[in-house]
Amino acid sequence: MQRVVLAAVVVLLCALAPVVPPFTLTLITEALIFGLFAMSLDLMVGYTRLYSFGHAAAYGLGAYATALMLLHFDLPLPLGILAGVALAVVVAVPIAWICTKSTGVSFAMLTLAFAQLGYAMLFRFKDVTGGSDGIGGIPRPAGPFGLAVFQGKLGYFYLVTFCLVGSYLLCRVLVRSPFGAVLAGIRENDAKMRALGYNTRAYKMAVVVVAYGFGALAGALYTPFAGFVAPELFFWLVSGRVLIMVVVGGAGTLIGPIIGGAFFLMLEHELSEATDLWPLIFGAIFIAFVMLAPEGIWGLLTRHARTQPPRPDDDADREAPRAAS
Amino acid sequence: MAIEPGEVRAVIGPNGAGKSTLFNLITGVLPPTDGDIVFAGERITGLPVHRIIQKGVARTFQLTHLFPALTARENVRVAAQARHAGRWRPLAGSALFAATAQAADAALDLMRLSGVADVKAGVLSHGDQRLLEIAMAIAQRPRLLMLDEPTQGLSIEETDRAVHILRGMLSDGGLTVLLVEHDMEVVFRLADQITVLHRGKVIADGPPAAVKANAEVQSAYLGGLDQ
Amino acid sequence: MNFAGFLLAQSLNALSQGAILFFIACGLTLIFGIMRIVNFAHGGLFMLGAYVGYSVAAWTGSFWLSLIVAPLVVGALGAAFERSFLARLYARQDAGAYLMVTFGLAIILAEAIRLAWGAHPLGVPIPDRLRGIVLVVNQPFPIYRLFLIAMGAGAALLIWQFLERTRAGLLVRAVAQNADMVHALGTDVRTVRTAVFAFGCAMAALGGVLSAPLVTAFLGMGTNVIIDAFVIVIIGGMGSFLGSIIGSLLVAFVQVFGAYYFEDLALALMYLLMLAVLVVRPGGMLGKEE
Repeated sequence: MQRVVLAAVVVLLCALAPVVPPFTLTLITEALIFGLFAMSLDLMVGYTRLYSFGHAAAYGLGAYATALMLLHFDLPLPLGILAGVALAVVVAVPIAWICTKSTGVSFAMLTLAFAQLGYAMLFRFKDVTGGSDGIGGIPRPAGPFGLAVFQGKLGYFYLVTFCLVGSYLLCRVLVRSPFGAVLAGIRENDAKMRALGYNTRAYKMAVVVVAYGFGALAGALYTPFAGFVAPELFFWLVSGRVLIMVVVGGAGTLIGPIIGGAFFLMLEHELSEATDLWPLIFGAIFIAFVMLAPEGIWGLLTRHARTQPPRPDDDADREAPRAAS
Repeated sequence: MAIEPGEVRAVIGPNGAGKSTLFNLITGVLPPTDGDIVFAGERITGLPVHRIIQKGVARTFQLTHLFPALTARENVRVAAQARHAGRWRPLAGSALFAATAQAADAALDLMRLSGVADVKAGVLSHGDQRLLEIAMAIAQRPRLLMLDEPTQGLSIEETDRAVHILRGMLSDGGLTVLLVEHDMEVVFRLADQITVLHRGKVIADGPPAAVKANAEVQSAYLGGLDQ
Repeated sequence: MNFAGFLLAQSLNALSQGAILFFIACGLTLIFGIMRIVNFAHGGLFMLGAYVGYSVAAWTGSFWLSLIVAPLVVGALGAAFERSFLARLYARQDAGAYLMVTFGLAIILAEAIRLAWGAHPLGVPIPDRLRGIVLVVNQPFPIYRLFLIAMGAGAALLIWQFLERTRAGLLVRAVAQNADMVHALGTDVRTVRTAVFAFGCAMAALGGVLSAPLVTAFLGMGTNVIIDAFVIVIIGGMGSFLGSIIGSLLVAFVQVFGAYYFEDLALALMYLLMLAVLVVRPGGMLGKEE
């Protein structure tokens, strides 16, 4: 069901992309980047119940690392992006190591602390990072072998779509693997998993690093897209926004956050022009969902589909069972 | 205290004697202030819990400890995966899943829970939940099975069923069992040896008949006003 | 300035900083004690207090009035929020939901403040009577900071006495230990919770009003403060009022002396402290989180 919906949406977008006005294409591209960002957090929040208030750090790390790569080295675009992601993942490892020393609120606070630290470091090392001005004029170089297709709006859209779909498929495989089954157990009862003999800390570290990796990919895709990076990328409200997207979209579904995230970003663009109150409304919607519909939009939509008896074959999507309430 | 392989050892004692503490010490949840714990010739004192469990220990808890949102089968499957070599694999694990599903079904079958395999563990009856926890412990293929008051809260009938199943399992002698129980009937039906704890000390240790007749044991249980 | 003088001046600085931190931390720890939740919106409430204080002072010309009005307003808001949202989550036993909801509140506060007061920092003048310098053992020291120390010490004393000596205080402590029991004895635990939550919010707001003349009211003042408060509460012990006093002083001293000696590391210092504390006492709160 998930794959069908995603495939349909992707096909639709790819078909429409050449014909929509450029501004709309830009908006859709940014929405897809944000969807990827949201999906990356879902691995932590939805599948492992590791609440992060600092996921902006993943995004910011990817964005800034890619910016520096593209600016200082003569790399083809995809390589620049990959290099940025690799750098971010390297930084993510000690972060994951420290954060997973705790659980619950402490974990959340630590993730926030790292994002704040990152934010502060940007101002401290102004020479490298441009301080409050950020880094501008980031090139969008040609791909390997002089392939110029990604340098145009349409080409970049296809790149982002490809990365999103590829990441989704990878994550899907991951959560349906034995590793994913362990994550589900940790989500449901961490202590019991330890009592069964699982080294839950190692798994949590791994999922945090993977989540940071995909989040960094989103950030890395943002940099050549926007052409500049700024400290705002690390701001806690960015972490807040993406967390809201995961919960409202539907935690533990992968696709809920993607579609929810993309959709809300576009909604936000439209509504921000109409009203200044949008961020406020956003926060209120978030609280409403937490209180009344914790399974999120995707969960609501598929709720009636799930009252059908489960089919015996494995084609039924292995979505994370709803968080215990 | 020493337990032989293949033995069924019951640990009994009044409340506060230290039975759960003993379990927590063996599994590494609590560090000992003095002394060592040796498992199959290997010193396990101070190792983290998960490492000790990986050596072949499985335990159940006094307060049922399950995954309430997962079905009974999924609960046991997770337990079966715990000692599987490929349990951490991030890519397709259909072979692993097939093996663990089979092990899960076998364990459920053994505990006569196959009928509720697809029911979420959180909504099972208390008795079924306790049996499920034992099924999970069995699915871990342990060398040492530690049961902490397995029949607590079970009806007479459920207790009977549990004892019957356990006796069946123990008959081929491949498993060592450490059992904490308050229900003396269960103890006498299952145990080869009984250790009696009182305020953290072993006050008797031997075959059931001897322990039954032990005067100190009788006073600890019956005269226990000075706890 | 000789070393003794330097030490004195910096210590007084630390004490005044500690006072502000105390106002935030005591609320956080009391709320945790009663409700077993970490109020993530606490930083936002601190910020709201600063902004409301600014407005009251701007409209009425009286800083003293803002000291009273801002905490009352924010406290009332807190009470309303607790009643409408948090109380309903209690039955759910889902720690994640509390985290999300208070985080949502933090976001709403941040956005609402930006909408209502704009993005630029707002200066709050120090009231005339508290302006200027006074000599403390021959060291010049701002009067306003001495005022902060006095406010902090006074509040700490009052709250401590309230908790220890009054019947209402006893009730609060009892609910913190065993809410069900207290409920069974016939007390309206819900009201106690709302009251403590509101009080905690009011205290945070008071901290905001008091700190505004020093640091201005600015967006983002809440986020670093919540991390500081969290570290304090862990150091002092979640739910321990006395702990919040000790923790506040400790953190303030580390911040002030750390900033002086390790200027470059000043930023990182708080985070390092937090990491150190969490490493020593990891998930280690009262184990009620998991």
